[in-house]
Amino acid sequence: MHISRREFAALAAAAAAFRARSAAAAPDPAVFVTGMDLPANLDPAQILDVQSTQWGLNAYDNLYRYEGNPAKMQPWLATDHTVSADGLTWEFKLRQGVKFHDGSELTAEDVVYSVQRLLGVKRAPAAPFLPILKPDSVSAPDRYTVRFTLAQPYGPFFGMIPMIAIVNPRIIKPNEENGDWGAKWLASNEAGSGAYKLLPASYVPLEQADLEKNDDHFMGWSDNPQPIKKIEWRPAKVTSTRVLALLNGTLDMTDSFLPVDQVERIEKSSNAHVAKNVTMRLLVIRMNNTKPPFDNIDARKAFAHAFNYTGFIDEIVKGNAVRDPVPIPTNIWGFPKDVTGYDYDLKKAKEYFDKAVAAGAPMKRPIELHVQQPLEQTVQAGQLFQSDLATVGIDLKLINDTFANLTSVSGKPETTPDMWIHWVSAYYLDPDNWIGQMYDSRYHGTWKASCWYTNPQVDDLLRKARFSTEQEDRAPLYEQAARLIVADSPDIWIYNMIEVCGVSNRVQGFRHCPVGSGGEVRWMHLSA
Amino acid sequence: MLRFVLRRVLSAIPSLFGLLIFTFLLVRIVPADPAAALAGDNATPQQIADIRHQYGFDRPIGVQLLLYVGQVLRFNFGESQYSHRPVGLDIRQRLPATLELTFAALLFATLVGIPLGVIAGVNHNRWPDFALRMFSITGLAVAAFWFAIMLQLLFSMQLDWLPLRGRTSSGLVMPPEVTGSLILDSLVAGRFDAFWDALRHLVLPALTLSLGALATITRFTRAGVLETMQKDFVLYERAVGYPRRRLIWIYVLRNSVISAVTQIGLLFGALIAGAVVVESIFDWPGIGNYAVQAILTADYKVMLAVTLLIGVIYTVVNILTDLVHGLLDPRLWEQL
Repeated sequence: MHISRREFAALAAAAAAFRARSAAAAPDPAVFVTGMDLPANLDPAQILDVQSTQWGLNAYDNLYRYEGNPAKMQPWLATDHTVSADGLTWEFKLRQGVKFHDGSELTAEDVVYSVQRLLGVKRAPAAPFLPILKPDSVSAPDRYTVRFTLAQPYGPFFGMIPMIAIVNPRIIKPNEENGDWGAKWLASNEAGSGAYKLLPASYVPLEQADLEKNDDHFMGWSDNPQPIKKIEWRPAKVTSTRVLALLNGTLDMTDSFLPVDQVERIEKSSNAHVAKNVTMRLLVIRMNNTKPPFDNIDARKAFAHAFNYTGFIDEIVKGNAVRDPVPIPTNIWGFPKDVTGYDYDLKKAKEYFDKAVAAGAPMKRPIELHVQQPLEQTVQAGQLFQSDLATVGIDLKLINDTFANLTSVSGKPETTPDMWIHWVSAYYLDPDNWIGQMYDSRYHGTWKASCWYTNPQVDDLLRKARFSTEQEDRAPLYEQAARLIVADSPDIWIYNMIEVCGVSNRVQGFRHCPVGSGGEVRWMHLSA
Repeated sequence: MLRFVLRRVLSAIPSLFGLLIFTFLLVRIVPADPAAALAGDNATPQQIADIRHQYGFDRPIGVQLLLYVGQVLRFNFGESQYSHRPVGLDIRQRLPATLELTFAALLFATLVGIPLGVIAGVNHNRWPDFALRMFSITGLAVAAFWFAIMLQLLFSMQLDWLPLRGRTSSGLVMPPEVTGSLILDSLVAGRFDAFWDALRHLVLPALTLSLGALATITRFTRAGVLETMQKDFVLYERAVGYPRRRLIWIYVLRNSVISAVTQIGLLFGALIAGAVVVESIFDWPGIGNYAVQAILTADYKVMLAVTLLIGVIYTVVNILTDLVHGLLDPRLWEQL
């Protein structure tokens, strides 16, 4: 093909124009662009997931907050607290002079409203509080004191305090509709006092949100001389796009669910790195204990011995996980160090398979394992499991599904799949967040308890632990419950995750915490 | 013509009504309970039951269907279970982005596909024909997902010419909304910076989306040209020495593109559906992206509204296609 000089000059000019424009779009040194997903809506009383926690850490404040890794409870809006000898009355002293984003002062009455609103909205963040708090259980004896009076002693209570985001009633009340506690309005707005405030016009649900620095944040900014002035929340829906955006400098941070091939790609890059942090997120394959053959303990053990734990962790996850044989993270109190769990042993798996067959368990029927789209790792785990089970004589079918659907169908034993795979993340750092809600039969009907396990002895231990207040009394109860549960093999516990998050090299001061996965921006600054 | 249009519109109503009922039953009859998804992590069974009651999920499916049909007939698509925003408002915000992307892809596919089809047809069994046939097959076979990533790697990562994702650059002040199309609105406002920025963001998603359509239009035009070239009037015009270029690009083309135009109508619907994948890859804020989020979060009112919308668009485009048919070949009015 012949190209004339004139055509060549035009092409060169077009190329130069494109290049000039890209050069002009160099990253702004004061703007942090995050690829973290946005929560399904912005109301901290309606949504409870990793995204909502990250949103809350930036836009709202709490009485206490988890900071660091290992995480420690740190006084935040509260300066300190006291608890009565019977464990029923908790008093929190508030800092004075804390301002909401509208400039009004945050007082104890606002904390009371926030708790009552949380209970009134009755969504996921309220769930752990509902058994022990009623709207009149919280009061404000004076302007800077908040008192909680519990119906009964509750071990996880203090650990759950960071789940309460303090909201501004003066903004919300005028936007209430039909007694909805302003839920409709706050779903797309913000009424907090946090280190960053929402620019409402920027918000498009699940697409984008911009936040600007709150100069008047109560913590001040002296600990961070060059704080980030603006956060641009720009979730990328597809992993490859997310990683490419990180590599070309248009994104500063990814999520923490990166597949291994993308981790390797980021590690080879010169302008981004992978932040690896041990967290508290368990990967579990659930078995529906009410459906044959999973109502047979030998059948369940056959499956438990057929998963290649080491192979999966070493080869597929490339070491970014720690083997965890029980339903409690390895790095929290209450973890029973003496329990080794089930190992990968196809010979043992076959023995249990034969025992189950002899007892009449339908081991040869096709078994369905539901994996989650678009979470690639769940598919990889399923494929590995499928190939090993085939050698034992079990026909495993992989079914693509979504988390939303799986949480729905797991509401009843008859609609819960044979097996499904998911993570259990950290929302409050107490064993109750994992073992308590997964194996106490009072939680049947929720996705966390979707193996439908019932053991009255375990129920008793978990409830005793939940209603005791001292950690030294509670830890042995959880350890014992874990031993009993592992012996019954209701599920397959694979690992405790090491979170891998892609971070631009210009981001400094990234602080990881298992709650929020390092999404708290106030500690960060951007190098030139 | 008016009678034809009225007849087509009236015949479309039962189809759309059927689509509404079918999608409603499909979404609601599966064992999934949106209340559990809505309740989220840590929810208790009682909370899930409360939400089920609050949203009426515990009512008989027939009652739910009647209520929903009643709402839709009043152009009320309900509110998203998560954002609590009216679904109609969300769609109004996002539809222009999808239409802009789809029109751009279709325009590109048409403007390039028809000439390519003509070139292939008039060069039957010569190297341009072979090359374009190969191109058509490849275009249909290649997965949009793969093609998109290749484009991103080449034009955004290697050459650094075009943006990787999104509809505009960060910090760009938008022109006032007139049509909803950023390209048109920035031209109306005389904002050439915004026009250039929007155009650059549009290129890769539109190219990706257009690939299959481009291949289809090329193939159908080629087939039409081959058929027309055998017609007596072409032989006659050639025999009397009518200029070849004029013969092909006016008379042969006009008689060849009828089947391609039918395809363009059908492709529009396919492109709207294909936008689901393309919008996800390029983070294009349209209804495709919205639909994906709705599926992942079991936000069933959004799923229903988007499905119905795509059905309406598909129907309207088919009616328009028939009209264009009639304009190209008035004999068709009598048959339709």
